[in-house]
Amino acid sequence: MGGKCPHRNVKKRRYSHKTHRRDKFLVKGDDMVYDQLKKPDEEKKPLPVDEDLPGMGQYYCLHCDRYFANVAVRDEHFKTKRHKKRVKQMMGPAPHTQLDADIASGMGMPDNGPKLMSM
Amino acid sequence: MRIEKCWFCSSAVYPGHGIQFVRNDAKIFRFCRSKCHKNFKMKRNPRKVKWTKAYRRLHGKDMTQDSTFEFERKRNRPERYDRNLTENTLKAIKTIDKVRSRREAKHIETRKKGKKAQLMREAVKELEQSISLVKAPSVLEEDKSYTLPKIKVKVSEAEAKNQPMEE
Repeated sequence: MGGKCPHRNVKKRRYSHKTHRRDKFLVKGDDMVYDQLKKPDEEKKPLPVDEDLPGMGQYYCLHCDRYFANVAVRDEHFKTKRHKKRVKQMMGPAPHTQLDADIASGMGMPDNGPKLMSM
Repeated sequence: MRIEKCWFCSSAVYPGHGIQFVRNDAKIFRFCRSKCHKNFKMKRNPRKVKWTKAYRRLHGKDMTQDSTFEFERKRNRPERYDRNLTENTLKAIKTIDKVRSRREAKHIETRKKGKKAQLMREAVKELEQSISLVKAPSVLEEDKSYTLPKIKVKVSEAEAKNQPMEE
């Protein structure tokens, strides 16, 4: 990961990890991916065509939040260790949330008062 | 003013302290100090970091189920000011805090007790299994004082009859 630095003659700083660092923050959070996976199939929309993304944004891995150029590359990705690890993680318990943090600190469930509008 | 709880370690975040991160899906993450913020940026799971409350809760280190946890809540309903009610609440806070700290101490005591019995059991087992490392088996046969006395357990007749059936 990471591109090459212009100063190749400096031995210590050969690679820049800037791009890798930036990519790290562009990836969706665990809880967002978890929520997406938990959605029933009817709510899932077909992937929009986006020419800026690899493969027009049609070959997407929901678990890893990555786009691929074609089906072959995506299926290759499904076989990788990283993807399998991610799938296993998403099968487990729900990610930590602010509510979990509140409960862990000895707070009760939030009190929203009586429902004003009865549907 | 609301005293929020840290997303990572669940400690109180007082006004003017810590940092707040708002993700582009409008979810708010509050952190009590840079330590918690850094741990979040490293994508660490609070349930797997030993010093957080979430870990301690999950692994039974702290008291989990108690009636004193029902009082402190996020109340999203505005309360009309009432002088008597406020006074009573302030009084109650002190007593509830006392009750909770007493129960927590008791919880720790009970946890410690179980440990002692377990250590004793393990020590006895180790002594039985690996006494040969300290003394040669021939010595053990000569001097009976090194082996633990065998405990006789009475087997009821029904149980004794059932045993050959297992084979």
